[in-house]
Amino acid sequence: MMNEFRLPTSAVSRRQVLLGGMAVLGAAALAGCAGPAQASGRSQLKFWHLLSGGDGVKMQGLIDEANAASDTYRVAPTVLAWGTPYYTKLAMASAGGKAPDVAIMHATRVAGYAPGGLVDPWDLDELAALGVDQNTFPERIWEKGFSGDQLYSVALDAHPFILMYNTDICDQAGLLGSNGQLNPIDSPDAFLDAARAVNGVTGTQALAYGYLGDGAQMWRLFYTLYSQQGATMTVTPGQKMEYEEDAAVTALEYMQALLDGTIANPQSDYPSAVAEFATGEAGMFLTGVWELPTMQQNEVPFDASPIPTLFGTPASYADSHSFVLPHQDSPDPAKRKAVYQFVADLLTSSFAWAEAGHVPAYLPVTESPDYADLEPQAHYAAAADNIVYDPPAWFTGSGSNFQADFGQAIQPALLGGEDAAGAFRSFVDRVNTLLSSPNPVNPEGGV
Amino acid sequence: MTTLVGSDLDAAERDVEPTKAPRRGSSHRPGEKPFGVGRIIAFAVLALLALGWLLPFLWAVDTAFKTETDAASAPSWIPSEGFTTQAFEAILSQGNVPTWAFNSLITSVAITLITLVISSLAAYAFSRLEFAGRRWLFVLIIASIIVPPQVLMIPLYYEMLTFRMVDTYWGLILPQVVIPAMVFILKKFFDNVPIELEEAARMDGANRLRVFWSVVLPLSRPILASVAIFVFITAWNNFLWPFLVINDTSLMTLPIGLQTVISAYGVQYAQLMAQAVLAALPLVVVFLIFQRQVIKGVATSGFGGQ
Amino acid sequence: MTATTAAQGDRSVALAGVAGHDAAASRSGRRRRDNLVGWGFVAPFLVFFVLFLIWPILFGIYLSFTDQSLAGTGGNLVGFANYAEALSDPIMWRSFGNTVWFTVVSTVPLVLIALIMALLVDQGLPGQWLWRLSFFMPFLLASTVASQIWVWIYNPQLGIANAVIGALGMEPVAWLQDADTALYAIIVQTVWWTIGFNFLLYLAALQNIPPQHYEAASIDGAGKWRQLWSITLPQLGPTTVLIVILQILASLKLFDQVYQMLGGVSSPTTRSVVLYIFESGFTGYRFGYSAAISYVFFAIIIIISVAQYPITRRRRAS
Repeated sequence: MMNEFRLPTSAVSRRQVLLGGMAVLGAAALAGCAGPAQASGRSQLKFWHLLSGGDGVKMQGLIDEANAASDTYRVAPTVLAWGTPYYTKLAMASAGGKAPDVAIMHATRVAGYAPGGLVDPWDLDELAALGVDQNTFPERIWEKGFSGDQLYSVALDAHPFILMYNTDICDQAGLLGSNGQLNPIDSPDAFLDAARAVNGVTGTQALAYGYLGDGAQMWRLFYTLYSQQGATMTVTPGQKMEYEEDAAVTALEYMQALLDGTIANPQSDYPSAVAEFATGEAGMFLTGVWELPTMQQNEVPFDASPIPTLFGTPASYADSHSFVLPHQDSPDPAKRKAVYQFVADLLTSSFAWAEAGHVPAYLPVTESPDYADLEPQAHYAAAADNIVYDPPAWFTGSGSNFQADFGQAIQPALLGGEDAAGAFRSFVDRVNTLLSSPNPVNPEGGV
Repeated sequence: MTTLVGSDLDAAERDVEPTKAPRRGSSHRPGEKPFGVGRIIAFAVLALLALGWLLPFLWAVDTAFKTETDAASAPSWIPSEGFTTQAFEAILSQGNVPTWAFNSLITSVAITLITLVISSLAAYAFSRLEFAGRRWLFVLIIASIIVPPQVLMIPLYYEMLTFRMVDTYWGLILPQVVIPAMVFILKKFFDNVPIELEEAARMDGANRLRVFWSVVLPLSRPILASVAIFVFITAWNNFLWPFLVINDTSLMTLPIGLQTVISAYGVQYAQLMAQAVLAALPLVVVFLIFQRQVIKGVATSGFGGQ
Repeated sequence: MTATTAAQGDRSVALAGVAGHDAAASRSGRRRRDNLVGWGFVAPFLVFFVLFLIWPILFGIYLSFTDQSLAGTGGNLVGFANYAEALSDPIMWRSFGNTVWFTVVSTVPLVLIALIMALLVDQGLPGQWLWRLSFFMPFLLASTVASQIWVWIYNPQLGIANAVIGALGMEPVAWLQDADTALYAIIVQTVWWTIGFNFLLYLAALQNIPPQHYEAASIDGAGKWRQLWSITLPQLGPTTVLIVILQILASLKLFDQVYQMLGGVSSPTTRSVVLYIFESGFTGYRFGYSAAISYVFFAIIIIISVAQYPITRRRRAS
């Protein structure tokens, strides 16, 4: 009809051709992307994780190996920015019903996903058939995967907060024992003394600890020091937060004492702390196990130990990278089956994951003689025996608002020397507000 | 992004053609010397400002052509390992950026075409046709210009969940084609198209659709180009809605992919900047070629820009 | 407006009722056809308009009275509980405060610097093409790109911002990590990114000032500065009002830069209203509450939009 009309100029018809072409192109693209490409008979698995840097490289290696060895699946990983952006996107993808087939989630975050149906439970029998059951995990770590009587997350590791130390510098400072490892430090003052000795060697500072703008980093050290005093923390929606104020203030004041500009640099954010230790500006490093590969690459002469028990009770903040099944409206059974196989494959090959610094959760790996020989991993593996996870609630866990709120309340005290007790109280107020507001994951109540 | 303030009607019509040769430079003004001290100072200030505005971009480009080692060293314009295209090669070989660029192109073109078609049809009706309810409908559409898209974040997302359009091209495209301000701008233009031409065509027995297609649209090329350029730029750059509705990395547009997906290998500054430069390149090239049309498109259609 | 044709149409429709029977029949037939054609033209837009604008607005109001969650749970009507909570939520008010502060602090340079740029470029100095490119190009960048460039500039160890202030003998600053500087760092980025649009409006307004004004003034012996104060700036008045209003409305919607530059983590000193809407809904899962904040925000936008109308009208009339 348009063609028979007489007015169109050549310009108009040229545009018609152009528009028509674009429309066809658009339609083709829309049609082409309707279904996932099926390259071969293998299931294409979408796998989301938040591991970057040293961890990311290692995870990529594990995935590549698993892909190469498997004829049932091919895993395509996507890495999202760690923390809130990752968890927000994962929740949105699960709510949308077309979530990735499998994802990594911190064990402490599952409480915010499972009750709302954002993750699907694992089938215990199917896991057991692949050699994954409660006998192959440390009890605490296995239990952490449950919400009610359903298993929602299968842990790959435990990754505690530890102390790395430069063996050259600490040797000069006279802190090493005959075995070449750090002499036991068992009191707050002893640690300060040790740090000052390190400072005497480096001349710049003793301890690398990056925390600026990083609530998680502040929380990790705080919760370690807090728990070392035997103190506990409970957050139950509908009730006030239960905590021990003296222990909290002691922990915070101790952190203030460390960040005095000579022991640790109060202007340090996470990457600068990594750089401080990697370049030898600092002789000790409060960090997660995941920075191990970075230091090995930088050929820093170093060893590591659990955070010294300064306040009597051994405790180390930790979390676990765990596998979850993000909710899908209609999961493809073949893909689900392939996911179980993939997870089992990664667990059994998680010795390589230990090379990334983490303590593997799968007991057949950590009980192997190879692992006992692995240094410095074996020197801090004991930290996994005394791990403390975040107090469980829908809003707590790694990369949560809980940790971000903690950082926002506490940073002024650490950076500007404001009153520790006041800073902690403002954190408590914030948590109490969250506890009194309705639980959006499970409006009927519960954590 | 596209909110237009209801009362800026006169401004919206204004013809902006700054690329015209400076027709009123000071040399044209009586009583002024062409090369006075004032002009030298003005030139210096202008040059300084321009440098300030170009520097961030130049620094990004500079970084993009460094090795990762140089990028992660102390800031320097001249890298110790020399300039290289490694970062670009790495980005392009990973596959994500080309995929996102393709998604950006397809969805932006689709949004532009659909917006042009539906908005110009509606604008023509409001300008020329008589039908019951015409006036209140037009008022409703104009009033809706003040609705900030941000307010729709939650209900629109919920609607997409219901329609199962989360993580689809359609979910990305369709909500972006409703730009009431474009109806308004096109109507204002059609109002000023001489009606005689249409009447002549109607005498020849052409129906409304033919008149619209073959008489009005060809006469409206300038405004259609302006609207198209503006809608395309807006769609190409849009962040909030695509960010909400797309989780699947293979469906992401460039701005979303760049923001959301990171490298497993850690922060690689040269590659980050190479991505940023690549994402900016198409619009910069378009701008360099069509400077006048782009400026006009943004100025006529772009009120409430960011 | 060429509403005359339509107005005539309406009048003829009204008259049809009292006209003779035959005439009425043919009139109503024509009228039906006109309606059909008119609505036919409007229909495609209308479908999308209703589906993706009108319906979400109405549905959002409903959501704001429920405890709907992202996870699909909830959905019970809770009355005004969300609104009551929002109005007594210190975080919401703080984020409003931040947004207003951002608006105030960013609008000043965005207007003044744009004006200076336009005045200078309008002098007809050589390099017109380059000036326009420099000032306007950032506006064409996606927010993500503009943010990533500045995150790199602000990098505490490797960024040029600290290199520059280091060269001036100052201590390095953790621009985006420090809660005291983050919002200002974002404002600088925003000025860089969006000033091109204001610059453009000013330049267009300057070029629309009739040259006769200047000729008359210079015959009266007015110098260049006098001309600036007595002719140019007053003539730019309406444009300035327009720019300020557009700036306010745009700044209140602050989201992209804050979300992107702070990596999706907000703090009490940087959280904007829209960011809080996003966080409540998608990070905190609380759709109902998030919708309630959206409508509080919407109400404020409407008030400002309506309030600016008489101001611009008056400016234009004078």
